[in-house]
Amino acid sequence: MIEIRFHGRGGQGAVVASELLAQAAFLDGKQPQSFPFFGVERRGAPVTAYTRVDERPVGLRTSITAPDAVVVFDPGLLASESVTDGLRSNGLLLVNTPRPPESLAAPPGVRRAAVDATRIALSHHLGTPMLPIVNTAVLGALARATGVVSLESLRRAVEQFVPARPEENRRAASDGYSEVRAVEGTGSATVSGPKARPPAPRLPEGPIASVSSETIHTSAWRTFTPVIHLDRCTKCNFCWKFCPDAAIEFDANGYPVLRLAYCKGCGICAAECPPKTIEMVAGA
Amino acid sequence: MTWKVLSGNYAQSYAALLARAQVVSAYPITPQTSIVEKIAEFVSSGEMDAEFVKVESEHSAMQVVISAAALGARTYTATSSQGLLLMHELLHWASGMRAPIVMGVINRAVAPPWNIGADHTDTMSQRDTGWIQLYAESNQEVLDTVLEAYRLAEHPEVRLPVMVTEDAFYLSHTVEPVDVPSRADVDRFLPPREPHAVLVPGEATRLGSFTGPDHYVGFRHQVGEAMERVSKTLAGVEEEFREVFGRSHGGALPTYRTDDAEAILVTMGTSTTTARSVVDELRSEGHHVGLAKLRLFRPFPDEEVRALARQVDRIGVVDRSYTFGRMGPAATEVSAALYTAPHRPELTSFLAGIGGRDVTPEEVRRMFETLLSAAPPRTHWEDLEEAEEMRVHG
Repeated sequence: MIEIRFHGRGGQGAVVASELLAQAAFLDGKQPQSFPFFGVERRGAPVTAYTRVDERPVGLRTSITAPDAVVVFDPGLLASESVTDGLRSNGLLLVNTPRPPESLAAPPGVRRAAVDATRIALSHHLGTPMLPIVNTAVLGALARATGVVSLESLRRAVEQFVPARPEENRRAASDGYSEVRAVEGTGSATVSGPKARPPAPRLPEGPIASVSSETIHTSAWRTFTPVIHLDRCTKCNFCWKFCPDAAIEFDANGYPVLRLAYCKGCGICAAECPPKTIEMVAGA
Repeated sequence: MTWKVLSGNYAQSYAALLARAQVVSAYPITPQTSIVEKIAEFVSSGEMDAEFVKVESEHSAMQVVISAAALGARTYTATSSQGLLLMHELLHWASGMRAPIVMGVINRAVAPPWNIGADHTDTMSQRDTGWIQLYAESNQEVLDTVLEAYRLAEHPEVRLPVMVTEDAFYLSHTVEPVDVPSRADVDRFLPPREPHAVLVPGEATRLGSFTGPDHYVGFRHQVGEAMERVSKTLAGVEEEFREVFGRSHGGALPTYRTDDAEAILVTMGTSTTTARSVVDELRSEGHHVGLAKLRLFRPFPDEEVRALARQVDRIGVVDRSYTFGRMGPAATEVSAALYTAPHRPELTSFLAGIGGRDVTPEEVRRMFETLLSAAPPRTHWEDLEEAEEMRVHG
């Protein structure tokens, strides 16, 4: 049995990817199982999804704690989530990143693979520039790096189960397959089982938390950043009104100011701004 | 103290006044309405220093008291039947947030068919919401139990909401003499609430927000642990009540003439009073029968029931409601409590007084006869032949 864990953010298609992988494995004649784990169901929140592929029906209904491969959709998650927890010592870490695989930090025996799925997705106009949908490119890379499914079955699964832009998605899968780069681990494999569950913390009596949600920065998954050209700003407040994350404030003169720690780069402010003074800039 | 001739509903109103409830919110429903009408009068006359929040539904009324409790206020609400069912979702919120709300519930039948008579289906349907449930038998017990309920709800060992119930019309609209305690005595027994885990305006605090599977189970377990401590805490609260007011109501499962009893009936609410008189009659005729009043239904007094079972071979449980596909809900609970008892008596579930039927002395007498017969049934419906007959001929 091969166990794969996907780490993404709500809206990036990690859950769909885990299902597509299962569909492709089934087309290969395997017995797959796939399921998501959601924390908070909203765009931008970290999500985990799981796929198991076996020759026989899968006899487990639990999350995957010792994966053979970990797939990371958003390099920002490498800093905030313990994505390699429990990853098998000879396993694979695949990350969507423009950086080379040598730059990825992983336990010694773990193979590292990198694919610039965001660029591939954008080149095929998948999703929006603000939120590129990278799952098919990542799956192509995963098929190559692990051999868990054939590229042909993956392309057939995309054709059957991806409702939007099936042709572009097929090409993205092929591009991911051909562009992924993998390197061996930095040392010999060391045997380490799944990480022990941390002891339960002492809970307050009653579900009370005194941490302000302001301390939770929600900007880590931003790919494009709004830049406001104040010379053309009419102080109409539309950006402030439409921002779903309260990430826009005003300065003493009534001009909008970004609270970038909370900006997810959704681009709604740029779309709604009547004089089009807001530009979405990659990276930034 | 002052003797007043009060309805069960006004006993609730006076208790809320004496407890110095600070926020009251309720939506009218028969037969509860007069409770909050009276409280509205207390508030408008200035006799009671409380916010009375008018709302458009019971669901909103419960939300108001949850929010007020989350800010540290002492709160009161009341409802009945369909109104209680509408609150169901928020009843879970109240207990999960450990909100020490006290609510009067007038036990009334649930529709359809439409019926406003006494019946326990409404509160039995809320068994699993994490609320403490206390059932009262007299208007005095209603008033006293509401005062005790605040001590219980706010007790550091408990911190859970409490419903104090009374049978529709048999108490809600029945007037009888009630010893209304003085404000000074009540203040001595029930000091102001000491807020715990509450929101403070201006400080960033979250109550009941998202919790993943890792911690959620711990919070559920906490509610269970608090429930485990209720029976003992109630005994302590009753002891203090007796010291201040010179009376108390016997804790979770007060018993009556159970010594050397061959059969015991377990009753709830007003059927207890009638059954007590029947026990006296039967005892005077030489029959060895006794009575136990199930006053605390949630948490269920397992230990007390097992102690009762040690001394008797036949137990009958009188339920004023029916769990479809099972038996009477109290009978189900007694049965579960007896599973681990060293001595397990025969158990009969009597379904009586459903939808406002009288539970008459004759009927109680027949229940004891059934219990003492050669082979008592598992479940026995009272009133049914007559109801069937009415359906055929009516």
